[in-house]
Amino acid sequence: MLNYNQTIKNQKSYQGLQMSEINPVMKLIIRGKKRDFLSAVGKSLNMVLPTKANSSTQSEKLTALWLSPDEWMIFSNGVVKENTNSYETETLLNRNISKLNLGAVIDVTDQYVRIVLKGDKIYDLFQTGSPFNFNEFRNKIGSVTQTIIAKVDVIIHNQNQNEVNLFVRRSFSKHLFSWMNDSASRL
Amino acid sequence: MFLINCPFCGEREQSEFKAGGEAYLERPKQPTELSDDEWAEFLFMRKNIKGVQFERWNHAHGCRKWFNIARDTSNDQIKAVYKMGEKPPVK
Repeated sequence: MLNYNQTIKNQKSYQGLQMSEINPVMKLIIRGKKRDFLSAVGKSLNMVLPTKANSSTQSEKLTALWLSPDEWMIFSNGVVKENTNSYETETLLNRNISKLNLGAVIDVTDQYVRIVLKGDKIYDLFQTGSPFNFNEFRNKIGSVTQTIIAKVDVIIHNQNQNEVNLFVRRSFSKHLFSWMNDSASRL
Repeated sequence: MFLINCPFCGEREQSEFKAGGEAYLERPKQPTELSDDEWAEFLFMRKNIKGVQFERWNHAHGCRKWFNIARDTSNDQIKAVYKMGEKPPVK
């Protein structure tokens, strides 16, 4: 990733809550409706896209989040190389999806910031600024939701028990992170 | 404030949605042949009824999909939620 300025510089920790940005992580948005699209993605990535609402699937290297009936986000589980802007997965999908007019592949690596939250107070924090009901979400590993926290659009992915991935638009990330820190300090 | 059962994502709070106004407005077939009054009628005039109204809503902060709702405008009770293109339920 070239010329990437990290918006969130340091890791913050509170009683029962740690927050930090993980970067650089490859993120792609893929869109498509046709059945051929789903099978082409499955074949190229060796993983099945989640078709059930608010769910996700994971392979060794990638995670796919359901965003909408025809929209998914794919991100790399690990960090990617810092000195390049092209990713193997993106090239592969471009060749097998975009070029064949099956759907769209968009690189959103720089658009979204991935913040990882850990600890048992994650949902107490979310409760302070989100209208979403996390009761079912927190007990189901792999669930995904798009909602708002403190009026900021976010994508939240339940990675593991007490571990959550939060994707937020880059321009909002600094504000949201500082808001979350403020809120966490008063939990 | 009320809850809306998005046909794609499930039950969410109203603040995640954007209202798209009255549904089933038909765009005039020949807009160029309309008088200004008739065009204004199509653009701006709404029934604004008290009672059950069919509306379009967009899950703007979620799946970003449009769908229809039958809502009672007097007490915000939602009678039905259905996807675009589906037949509206009879009152």
